[in-house]
Amino acid sequence: MDSLMVEYRHPIDSRDDGLFLDAEWIPRLSATGRAHEVAVRRLHELMLRAARHQVARMPDAAGLGAARRDEIVHSAADAATVSVLSRLSAFEGRSRFTTWAYKFAILHAGVEVRRAAWRDREIDLSDVPEQRDSDMSSPETYAEVRELAEAVREGIAEALTAHQRRVTIALLVDEVPIDVLAERLNTSRGALYKTLHDSRQRLRAFLSERGFMSARGPKEVNP
Amino acid sequence: MTGHVSLSREAVARLTANTEPWLSCDDCFDQVDAAVEALLGSTVPLAEGFRAHLLGCAACHEEAQSLAALVAEHHDLTAADAVARLDAAVGA
Ligand SMILES: [Zn+2]
Repeated sequence: MDSLMVEYRHPIDSRDDGLFLDAEWIPRLSATGRAHEVAVRRLHELMLRAARHQVARMPDAAGLGAARRDEIVHSAADAATVSVLSRLSAFEGRSRFTTWAYKFAILHAGVEVRRAAWRDREIDLSDVPEQRDSDMSSPETYAEVRELAEAVREGIAEALTAHQRRVTIALLVDEVPIDVLAERLNTSRGALYKTLHDSRQRLRAFLSERGFMSARGPKEVNP
Repeated sequence: MTGHVSLSREAVARLTANTEPWLSCDDCFDQVDAAVEALLGSTVPLAEGFRAHLLGCAACHEEAQSLAALVAEHHDLTAADAVARLDAAVGA
């Protein structure tokens, strides 16, 4: 992004100071020369806004410190600007251009915050859920949910492969962010989500055979 | 694995969520901008695959919430109302 950052220091003509109409983004970013430089600078400002918004929303970012948060905002905005510029031909106009562009900054900022917040934390890739207290509101609810929870625990042990068990417990029981686990296991969010999806299918089938599942899910745990 | 191991109520809900029909994280990302705008600007429900993905994928859900909050003003909504509308549509 160094070359982009140099271009941002160019003075801007007053006629370029107004907001772009949504339909103007693609032609301006696809232009050459000065018009392109101005449009890229505007895009970067848009990405900074979205990255800042995302970082501010994330509880995990609070403990990182202002300087680190600011680094992440700028790094995510830079990466998102590159992502958007390299994918202009993929924009099909199904949403506002700005909404389409924002999602890249939100993604980059979200991934960076999750990874930064977990940087120094060990992840125990256990294949057994830890024992913990449950916050049941009544003895009846406690008994129902405990029965289901024990069936789920059995399902984890019996219906899942070792890999599915480790991924599923890390993501859904220990609540390790998916981007953090993907980095540690040298894989992707998409690949881990596929593992989760398959695990849930197996668990639901296991529970269904034992009479726990309704069509939409175990009603005992729905709000 | 001895005795009564209790998963929290929330963990059991996450583990048993019905995430059919299948939608990948990449497809979710492709759809999220148009899906969020349609949700905030109309009464059309979320596509079932997209809804199921947000129910089952915490990271994509968090990012969709963030996008809804960011564009809420285009739909004359507050950020909180936009996120609440998304969460209600997801069933989260
Ligand atoms: Zn996802």
